[in-house]
Amino acid sequence: MIAILFLLARRLLTALPILLTVSILMFVALRLLPVDPAAMSMPPNATNEDIAAKRREMGLDKPLTTQYAIWLRGALHGDFGRSIQLRRDAGHLVTAALPATIQLALCAMVIASVLGLGGGLLLFHLRGGASEALGDLGTTVLLSVPEFLWALLFILLFGVLLPVLPFIGQLGPQFSVVRVTGFLLIDTLLAGQGSAFASALAHLTLPAAALGIAFSPAIMRVLRSGLLDVYHEDYIRQARLRGIGEGRILIVHALPNAILPTLTLMGVQFGFLFGGTLLVEVLYSYPGLGNLMVDAVRNADLPLIQTVGLTYCIVVLLIGMTVDALVLVLNPRLRAR
Amino acid sequence: MNALLSGRVLVGAALILFVSLCAMFAPLLASHDPGEQDLLNILLPPAWSSGGDAAFPLGTDSLGRDQFARLLYGARLALLVAVTAACGAAVLGTVLAHIAGYFGGFLDWLIGRAVEVWMSFPPVILSLILMVGLGTGADRVVLAIVLVDWTRFCRVLRAEVLVTTQRDYVTAARLSGFTHLQTLIREILPATLPLLITLLSLEMGIAVIVEAILSFVGLGVAADQVAWGQMIADARSNFALAPWTLLLPMAAIFFTVTGFNLLGDGLRRTLDVRQTIARSA
Repeated sequence: MIAILFLLARRLLTALPILLTVSILMFVALRLLPVDPAAMSMPPNATNEDIAAKRREMGLDKPLTTQYAIWLRGALHGDFGRSIQLRRDAGHLVTAALPATIQLALCAMVIASVLGLGGGLLLFHLRGGASEALGDLGTTVLLSVPEFLWALLFILLFGVLLPVLPFIGQLGPQFSVVRVTGFLLIDTLLAGQGSAFASALAHLTLPAAALGIAFSPAIMRVLRSGLLDVYHEDYIRQARLRGIGEGRILIVHALPNAILPTLTLMGVQFGFLFGGTLLVEVLYSYPGLGNLMVDAVRNADLPLIQTVGLTYCIVVLLIGMTVDALVLVLNPRLRAR
Repeated sequence: MNALLSGRVLVGAALILFVSLCAMFAPLLASHDPGEQDLLNILLPPAWSSGGDAAFPLGTDSLGRDQFARLLYGARLALLVAVTAACGAAVLGTVLAHIAGYFGGFLDWLIGRAVEVWMSFPPVILSLILMVGLGTGADRVVLAIVLVDWTRFCRVLRAEVLVTTQRDYVTAARLSGFTHLQTLIREILPATLPLLITLLSLEMGIAVIVEAILSFVGLGVAADQVAWGQMIADARSNFALAPWTLLLPMAAIFFTVTGFNLLGDGLRRTLDVRQTIARSA
């Protein structure tokens, strides 16, 4: 337990300079932009003097370092500036959109894990046979289909060709749900609205499946090669000599060791998956961080881009920390140190 | 040499060759200009289905533009971006990986931290932010991909350089009077080359996807250039009426990326000596 806390503390300490660097890089990259946020936030009939006044008000006439210091001081106090386009607090916009994206990402991760681990076991089962090459080829082809192609394919297949599932938004228009947690699946249950819960779940199915499938083949491959490595170990042969059944050897003896590198990879994959929600959200008009980000990018809404970008970064770092802690819990060899 | 001609490598190379030929001879193969609008013939189905027109082999989009021509010209952009961006990312990543792995110490620490910062960003988000700063255009797309994806090369190759640097023949080279640069280029780079080639091929597939994503969002190339991602974005409003307008660019992306992945995967299997030994053992 102490080791886990120690690890988390160390990871937090390294995460802070990373976040700081990311925010600086983002700040500089966004200020390279040849648009003037002040002019964009004014009505079209504003005079040049008005715009100059606005620039001063927004602090844009100050040197870049001063601007960054002002932004950082605000951010540390929870003030991330106002969205130029939506004219609302950027922090509020992000916290309103974040639960929807987390919900989508979590469901996709569950699907990716089930498919990835199941597929990995299947690939391992096929080893040595004629179908091994086929399974191998299958994962290479699966790896070539990015999440947005799955998303489009599912819209065509299950939204248009066989209209069985909804593919726009996150809830049927006939429902209205009181937001308590922001997580629609939880809020509908809290309110006791069974049919709204079913609607939310149906809306989540296609985007989560598209994301999950896209990120499963990498997990399949690592689990398979992890199992192949473990089966070379003497203790597996020893188990066989003791007359333990193959099923028990796989589940009790091989899997706990083979799962460790798989978990580490899944952590990296889930970081990518969280980024992958962006396009899937856009394709399914799903009101999360991704749509917020794309709208902000299209409108060159600098404060909002900066806030959403930083949010993605924080979530990825948190995912990395969680996976590291999980690996530590599951791997006794790391605990001793 | 025999191993180089494995099934994967052959199929992958054949796919890429096919797409390259399409891209190269696009002006000869296409009977229409990709931007030419024909508002009397919008959303025509492919020529072989009922209602199709032989003048438009793969049908037309919502502005009556020839899908076949647009696919061919889209291949030009996709391959151009894939090759230049992947090579750029490879050069940047490889140079940094060799510096970090060979010299170690502070440089290694610094490059390692840079990779860590980059890795804390989902690649899609980072490239979007970069495109905001850089503006649109094919060259900007290439630059964004290079600036995002150099870490893929740097992370993997650094470990390889680290191992190679410990080898006796590297010490021998230094003792016989090689400069650091000579040692790096003549002793260490050849050892990392197989891995580099594999990564390069896989990166080209990734670059095709990133280019499609950026042009889909509308941050990729200028509006008058043809890109597969843009075709998907255009087709989205009519896909219930004309699913083929959506399926064609999707298929083009899929086959190109599969080609690069098969090639990369096949090369990894045949070029990686350790894996070959492990499999025969």
